[in-house]
Amino acid sequence: MNKQIFVNLPVKDLEKSRAFFTALGYSFNPQFSNDSGACMVILEGSIYAMLLTEPFFKTFIDKPIVQAKEATEVLVCLSCESREEVDGLVARAIAAGGRAPRAVQDHGFMYAHAFEDLDGHIWELVWMAPQA
Amino acid sequence: MSKQVIFNLAVKDVEKSKAFFSSLGFTFNPQFSNERAAMMVIEEGSIQAMLTSEDFFRTLTGKPVVQAREANEIVICLTCDSREEVASLVEKAVAAGGRTPHPLEDEGFMVSQGFEDLDGHLWNLVWMNPQASQ
Repeated sequence: MNKQIFVNLPVKDLEKSRAFFTALGYSFNPQFSNDSGACMVILEGSIYAMLLTEPFFKTFIDKPIVQAKEATEVLVCLSCESREEVDGLVARAIAAGGRAPRAVQDHGFMYAHAFEDLDGHIWELVWMAPQA
Repeated sequence: MSKQVIFNLAVKDVEKSKAFFSSLGFTFNPQFSNERAAMMVIEEGSIQAMLTSEDFFRTLTGKPVVQAREANEIVICLTCDSREEVASLVEKAVAAGGRTPHPLEDEGFMVSQGFEDLDGHLWNLVWMNPQASQ
């Protein structure tokens, strides 16, 4: 069986985070979602993000939870199919209450931008030219 | 192009981290690796981790780098093919200098255990019994 990945991230308000990522176009798997966590589908059958309330996230670690607006442990980078998809996702993220931590980087063969979600987790978006 | 995900994680010593994950059986893509970062293949073509030196990582974020031995922002959960794969990966991780924050949890339909890598990033391994969903 192919490896599947679940990116577990703590969120302060599960409903607000669901609304944020729904506004970006993501869907959620109700079978793996409840009041403590929401399973966001990034690539069906392969890549998921689990948005977990802080108290539930805490049960998986024996350390404090990072406040991601203040410090970063991870950058989750997602590939996009076009420059337009990169731009569209960042625009929708900002409209939904996120922010862009830096300007777009255009290297010709590679086009990258990023947004921070409501909790400060950084999502990188990258388009690579197919011939690159 | 199908979606890919790449986790950028800060590490104190790229070479030591490569050795750690190599001993767990992961391979690296030399085309996207240099002395500042190493690309680890989790699932060819779809899931990768980029083990990035702290100095380089800092240039990517604009915020302080978390010391993951002290606090966590993320738990990366990977599915395994069997209960034995979960146990064996954790055993190899501990032997290679990692630690495990919890004992193995066996709920019948699901077996899981996590390990911390050399920098404190937390990886959770899960095997779901295919019979349980039928």
